[in-house]
Amino acid sequence: MVTGTNAAEALALDNATRAAALADGAAQPKSGPWFLLRANLQVLIDELRADGRKVIGPRVEDGAIVYSEVTTVTDLPEGWGDVQDAGQYRLSRRRDRKLFSYNMGPASWKRFTFPPVVPLNIGRREGREVTFEPAPLDPPRLAFLGVRGCELAALGIQDRVFLGGPYTDEDYRARRAAAFVVAVNCTTAAPTCFCTSMGTGPEIRGGHDLVLTELDEGFVVRAGSAAGADLLARLPVKAADAGQIFRAAGAIGKVAATIGDPLPTAGLHDRLLAQFDSPQWAEIAERCLMCANCSMVCPTCFCSSVTQRSDLDGHVSTSERVWDFCFTSSFARVAGGNFRNRPRDRYRQWLTHKFATWIDQFGTFGCVGCGRCVAWCPVGIDVRKELMSIAPPLAACPETADCKPVAASPTEYATARIRSIRTETGDVSTLVLGDVDSVFVSGRPGQFAMIALPAYPPMPISISRYLPDGIELTIRAAGPATARVIELGAGAELGLRGPLGTGWPLEQAVGRDVVIVTGGIGLAPLRPLIDAITAQRPRFGTVRLFYGARTPSDMLYRTELERWARNSNIEVALSVDRGDERWRGPVGLVTQLFDQATWDGSRAVGFVCGPERMMQATAESLEERGLSDDRIFVTLERHMECGIGLCGHCQMGKLFVCKDGPVFSMAQLGQVFGREGI
Amino acid sequence: MTATAAPARLTVGIVKFASCDGCQLSLLDLEDELLDVVRKFDIVEFPEASTSRSPGPYDVLLVEGAISTEDQRREITELRSKAKTLVTIGACASYGGIQALRNWMDHDAVRAAVYAHPEYIDSLATATPVREHVKVDAELHGCPINQDQLRELLASVALGRRPQIREEAVCLDCKRRGNVCVLVASGMPCLGPVTQSGCGALCPTFGRGCYGCFGPKELANARSLADSFLVGREPADVGRLFAGFTAYAEPFRSIVTEMGGIRMDPTGPASARPARGGNA
Repeated sequence: MVTGTNAAEALALDNATRAAALADGAAQPKSGPWFLLRANLQVLIDELRADGRKVIGPRVEDGAIVYSEVTTVTDLPEGWGDVQDAGQYRLSRRRDRKLFSYNMGPASWKRFTFPPVVPLNIGRREGREVTFEPAPLDPPRLAFLGVRGCELAALGIQDRVFLGGPYTDEDYRARRAAAFVVAVNCTTAAPTCFCTSMGTGPEIRGGHDLVLTELDEGFVVRAGSAAGADLLARLPVKAADAGQIFRAAGAIGKVAATIGDPLPTAGLHDRLLAQFDSPQWAEIAERCLMCANCSMVCPTCFCSSVTQRSDLDGHVSTSERVWDFCFTSSFARVAGGNFRNRPRDRYRQWLTHKFATWIDQFGTFGCVGCGRCVAWCPVGIDVRKELMSIAPPLAACPETADCKPVAASPTEYATARIRSIRTETGDVSTLVLGDVDSVFVSGRPGQFAMIALPAYPPMPISISRYLPDGIELTIRAAGPATARVIELGAGAELGLRGPLGTGWPLEQAVGRDVVIVTGGIGLAPLRPLIDAITAQRPRFGTVRLFYGARTPSDMLYRTELERWARNSNIEVALSVDRGDERWRGPVGLVTQLFDQATWDGSRAVGFVCGPERMMQATAESLEERGLSDDRIFVTLERHMECGIGLCGHCQMGKLFVCKDGPVFSMAQLGQVFGREGI
Repeated sequence: MTATAAPARLTVGIVKFASCDGCQLSLLDLEDELLDVVRKFDIVEFPEASTSRSPGPYDVLLVEGAISTEDQRREITELRSKAKTLVTIGACASYGGIQALRNWMDHDAVRAAVYAHPEYIDSLATATPVREHVKVDAELHGCPINQDQLRELLASVALGRRPQIREEAVCLDCKRRGNVCVLVASGMPCLGPVTQSGCGALCPTFGRGCYGCFGPKELANARSLADSFLVGREPADVGRLFAGFTAYAEPFRSIVTEMGGIRMDPTGPASARPARGGNA
């Protein structure tokens, strides 16, 4: 296996070192992790080669780090790093001598598991007879050295694509089975990286035979398979010490923190599929070159075409499978036309496949967040930016876990100043609070805040609007404390904690119809939801609002109700329990109003706020209309003091209304809802 | 067409207009298959290779070169009437070639700059693709054309099927070969993303940007690529990148025009000057 005198000497030397190391350490520890000195990395390469494998690893070639054969450690990119951004890649020298401190280059392991050109068969015709001779499967025995977390995830995705269904690709299977995987945890990140968003890295989570984490003096090593353990037993390793383990974990953790979460993926599938008609597809197409570089560097893109080469007589033809992509003109062409003729169609096909329909087909995103498509796009189109622009998260803070209250402890209140107070009805007013903590900017519709005034008990109040620099709270003078707050007047300060609780899951309504049913002050917690809908109106189907009040003068936000109906294409239906001389609309309970309307709920999501009995009746009606209980959402009122699930007041069966709610689906609530005395 | 019968050989003519003859040589370069070609086709007109001539008609006429003189304009119309299938071969016949750069310049000035006695030169003010004069059944692109594509075209004519020639950017061949992108990794301007493949990504394989010999690919977004080139470059320099063998092909033509056209400046860089020693 070893060629050249120097390599042979190196091997002899390393064998001696290894023997000494093994003698010194007596036996390898039973449980990992282990530590492989940098000087002994050559032993790993040699052992892989001794197994009859060609080792493929990172090398500097033509101004980038690519994957090709390595025979000695000196082939590896010692001290090389890279500078990357959208449409940009440059090699750079590092201050250290690390071997694996580079980021993803243009090459991926796809080239070895799914090569660009693979012979398929040779067809022959003699007289009236035809034969097809399949090309033999002859996969090379390879070892992949330096596979990163995102790349392992990509191999896993291609496994699902090629091997996961009833029909499988035998060429891929053979190549994959013949490859040994030495993974390396990332201890560096580029601005193009977003594995953290896609949940694929930086830490290796499986699919490897061995995994290394590089430190200056060597590698922390773990086995991930029987074959890996077998090889490890032949390496001169010692037990990693606590310091080495700690430093390795720290280096990986630092990478994760550096990358952050550049592409929030919550609800992305639905968000994106609701945007088939977005004008932005045409806008991207003005920049997109349709050169397919994004898909070629993508480690998961798997499309191909079959090309034939025949002799002039048509007696012999050779077929090959070649990489092909949804950006080429022939990809969706049939006799007489092309199903995806426009650039916008092709880009939309690619992006919606990677980030939405791939999930329907294979159960995962078609993206691992390696960032290659960002760096290697000649005109620097960044999928993360395009996705955030075409299908933005509905709130800047989509995961409930990230929406931490401004002051978690009930003892810590920030102060906010009342900028103005607006009277809505006889006993309801809206406070406009300015100078609120910036965390409120990322609050979700349906969340609430705790407000406090010394000497009064704290009050949980739904947030009735998010402003760029403040919030609105619509308050009914239901008791002495709320009455006192309304009397404070502009300029006064309040204690404020929040935003607290869950919000309305508007994500689930994208691409569907929306029905909102509420009465009286129940409209207040729904107003931010309606704001969010009107801001992105095309993303929803028919939107209906049923709103009831005791009398016409008890209706909140009268001018806004008109505006929503007039400007935002929301079907607003109003009713009152008792009319007055000017009321021309229906009289009766909102539930009756709602029952009389004719509409189909099978595509709808329901949002309901009101007294519990009303919500229960409404939910039943909605279910009769075809809404399942996991698509009907209600918001509950309970005695809340801490707002974070610690004080116990608001418990309702297994739930705390403050932290598990106040918004729940009917499915979540189950039998506790509407039951007296819970 | 039935495969079992021994059909009469198809008659083939190969003619040229304003061009360098390189594309015709691609046929002669099909060394291993040349015997197959002559067994299958009766090459009746090929002045580049044979003294025996035929006035037609032809089953297949391969046409090299741009239409650059009044005589050529007459001749192509006449040839078209004698050809069952007319195929242009190469950048000159398909896009006007390098000599089409004069289409942006003053004709008299170009003649004076190139020839010692311009009064003897009877050329048209423009060099134009064959397609602008007669109906063309198929075009082979490139400067020169790709032998495999020529072979495939001949096979498709012989077998009566569509030629299987991929319509895609040079980038696809480039990445299939495993090249590192010169545009992204070194900032070298490269027309590969907007150029039709066929050369096997020859220039990028040797570390050079693509010159666009094969002309714009289907739906080529030359504007976006030109916009990206404008970062750190003068418009005239960006225009020059597109002003090669296929400059006269849209949308490259519009980019060249918008970036200021082509100036004739005998003291300027060679690429801004008209082609030397043209056939017209």
